[in-house]
Amino acid sequence: MGSRAAIVAALLVCGGAGASAQLPSTPTGTALPPSGTLPGGVAYVIRPDPAQSAAAVALWYRAPSGGFDAAPTPGLARLAAATVAASTPITGTPLSALVARYGGRLFVEGYPDSVSITALVPPDRVAATVRAMTADYFAPVVTAAGLQTGLADSDEDALLRSVNDDVIEDALGAALFAAGPLHDGTIGTHEAFADAKLERVRAFAERAFRPANAILILTGNVDAAALANVASRAGPAGDASPEPGAAESPRPAPATRRIDAYVGGTGLAWIGPPIADETAATTLDFLADLLFAPRTGTVSRALGNLKASVHGTFVTYHDPGIFVVTISGDDAAAARPIVERAIADAAKPLAPAAFDSARAGFTYRLLADMDTPSSVADTFGWYAVEGDPSYAPAEGGLQGRYFGIVRSLSPAAVARTAAKYLGPTPGVVVLNKVQPSAAKSGS
Amino acid sequence: MRRSRTALLALAVFTAPAIAPAAAAPTAVVDLGGPRAYVRADGVASLAAVELYVRAGLDRQTASQNGLAALVAESVLQTPVAVRAPRANPGTPETLQDAIDACGAELAFVVTPENVRFSLQGTPDAIAVAAPLFARALAAPSFSPPTLTAARAALAVRIADEESDARFVALQMLRESYYRDGAGLPAFGNPGSLAGLGPDDAKAFFTAWYLRGDAFLTVAGRSGPATETATRVLIGALPAGSGAPPSLASKAFGAEPKRIVTHRDVEAPYVGVGFAAPPIGDPDFAAAWVMRALLDGVFERGAATTQLPVFSPVGSLYGYDTAPAQFVLWINGSQIDPSVGLGAVIALVKGAATKPLSDAVLTRYKETARGEWSLETLSLDERAAALGSAVTRGLDADAADAVPAAIGAVTAADIQRVAKKYFQKFDVALVLPRAAGSEGG
Repeated sequence: MGSRAAIVAALLVCGGAGASAQLPSTPTGTALPPSGTLPGGVAYVIRPDPAQSAAAVALWYRAPSGGFDAAPTPGLARLAAATVAASTPITGTPLSALVARYGGRLFVEGYPDSVSITALVPPDRVAATVRAMTADYFAPVVTAAGLQTGLADSDEDALLRSVNDDVIEDALGAALFAAGPLHDGTIGTHEAFADAKLERVRAFAERAFRPANAILILTGNVDAAALANVASRAGPAGDASPEPGAAESPRPAPATRRIDAYVGGTGLAWIGPPIADETAATTLDFLADLLFAPRTGTVSRALGNLKASVHGTFVTYHDPGIFVVTISGDDAAAARPIVERAIADAAKPLAPAAFDSARAGFTYRLLADMDTPSSVADTFGWYAVEGDPSYAPAEGGLQGRYFGIVRSLSPAAVARTAAKYLGPTPGVVVLNKVQPSAAKSGS
Repeated sequence: MRRSRTALLALAVFTAPAIAPAAAAPTAVVDLGGPRAYVRADGVASLAAVELYVRAGLDRQTASQNGLAALVAESVLQTPVAVRAPRANPGTPETLQDAIDACGAELAFVVTPENVRFSLQGTPDAIAVAAPLFARALAAPSFSPPTLTAARAALAVRIADEESDARFVALQMLRESYYRDGAGLPAFGNPGSLAGLGPDDAKAFFTAWYLRGDAFLTVAGRSGPATETATRVLIGALPAGSGAPPSLASKAFGAEPKRIVTHRDVEAPYVGVGFAAPPIGDPDFAAAWVMRALLDGVFERGAATTQLPVFSPVGSLYGYDTAPAQFVLWINGSQIDPSVGLGAVIALVKGAATKPLSDAVLTRYKETARGEWSLETLSLDERAAALGSAVTRGLDADAADAVPAAIGAVTAADIQRVAKKYFQKFDVALVLPRAAGSEGG
């Protein structure tokens, strides 16, 4: 029991860091703005929804998944964040244990250029969670026991992601980029994690988790007063600037890679616009939904009875974004031409009525993806860390900037954007399915 | 678009039904000329969920009608609509579900032991367009052979999903062992039983049980004129009348635990332990909810993050929205030896019945239980469903708001009493890898 192979098969089917920061106040005592920067340099976003029964407290950091060293270790950022959550701080209780005691849930997610820590907690534990989380991360304690627990957690995360389409998407970065966080990927290996030494994890945590690099997000049933519980960093303040985004180095021509993995399949990827090109980025979001939304998407319908799972999405990064398509399942090979045909057809304008219908569906699905405190926090965290928080789809709902752009889209403009970004030759990854013990990356 | 996994994970750690804890605004009750709508507004939300409860759930089925409740509900979604909405994918039959998708809304359903719950979600503008389409299909659903074929195909996907998860396989085995008659049948039937059900069966079931007098609606999210109109249009689409009173009942446990075995394509065994349990609204519910936290924590280890079920040694599914209720604990054989796990669970429930919990343990697990309750309802659908679960039990729609306080008042004596009353008798379901051989379902 407890075997790695069994799990793979199953899946195939205020504290110690310092005193509380002072809240910014105005002479007239007006309410705190919904976004801003606290005196300690911590950027924050707070979006209360008192009708929610729970709240999300999240910290987002811009930090490369593989670490700051010249030789990256994919997954190091997530490992460090998990280790801090599991390490016993001087306040006495690891964050993970505290959230569990509150009946909450704690999630750590690693992305190519960022890492997030999100706690879902009952409303009356928001203040305590803010206090503990900011204290633990702003002055991170990294213990040997915490690292052991963090390693186990990161192993599980890597295992989970290595048996679903994430592994295809992760591998696609190296087909498009010669260097940079997207090239390096986020899924670590058991061996690389096991080699991660305490000092390296601690050094990463000290640099990445500084208050000046933090974005604190509070959503759901929260009150702005909770911000009074943000810890400030004791001792040396460290660099007061946030981490700059690591440069991505696109290949002159996208590559085709072949790798062994626990799942078979194919991935296609194109370089897209930066987040600053909001109209193009929104258009590619729309195109991904039009083509790949479950049940309603053009590709999803065209697949018919094929045993293939096809997902497509535009991932908005600082510069550039990427459009990725993953195809897996027994009939993945047969599905690929269907996908390619649909993408080629996207360069032709839709009929107005069909376009309006597709846009209505896209609007609904995007809003439906943001109906929990944690999903709202994720949206704000992502767009903030990528440098354009006011463009976050959750900002302002249907009256916000993002949905304003959605309303402005036209069939012709969408077709032009498809031709521009999805017309070129994509980067390709072909995954050869092997038994769990044999999976090994190659190129 | 963001690339988020947290939101999915947050929802993946679910228990079973949904009943909402306290929210800022109480629920408004709207009289729809007999039937009622229960409306819990959220002015921050962009979407609304309008949910129609029809008293046509599993317990309306006879033993030979396995899957009929789901087949009828799915047929409503697959009913061709007369009004063609603009579509991105012309060329396939336009069903109600297609038409609602094209409005920028979504229609889905869930079958529970007592009800079929239809959930219509969208912006108020989209609901204003979608609700009349839904009402038209409700008033005159198609049970033609092509519609039933499409419905069977859609249900086959949902059946396969449930069958692929050993926890749900164990849950269904224990439900069948616990509930009498149709209430114990699988929510979506099985492909064989569905194939044996035809247009006449569907028509008769619809005629007998889709009745306005037994129906009600819940609304959560951005409520307003559009959702109120939708509730009136939907309730008006059902024929007048009421069905026979509810008949849900459970079987008595034997002197010794019943052992039910099946073999599936799983790599490691799963064990399900099914107990009787108090439903929401029962004076023992809060103490049973604390017991749940205790049992879920029986193999607690210091994890860095909240574990997904596949990495958790134990977890539970508490069907507290049904009376009699059932509590099922599952043990994951890939994480812990099932016999060791089962032994520890039995020791815990026996210990809880014979000796009061210490103050420290009680305080710890009451806090955990209270927090877990607040996380029971995160999505809009869960929030709307929560109101319906309370109403189904004959409670005030906001009755669940009292649960946190009730958890706070739980004493060690309460735990001991509830452990004695509910947790000493149980059945056991074993889901074993096919490679382990021997007979079984």
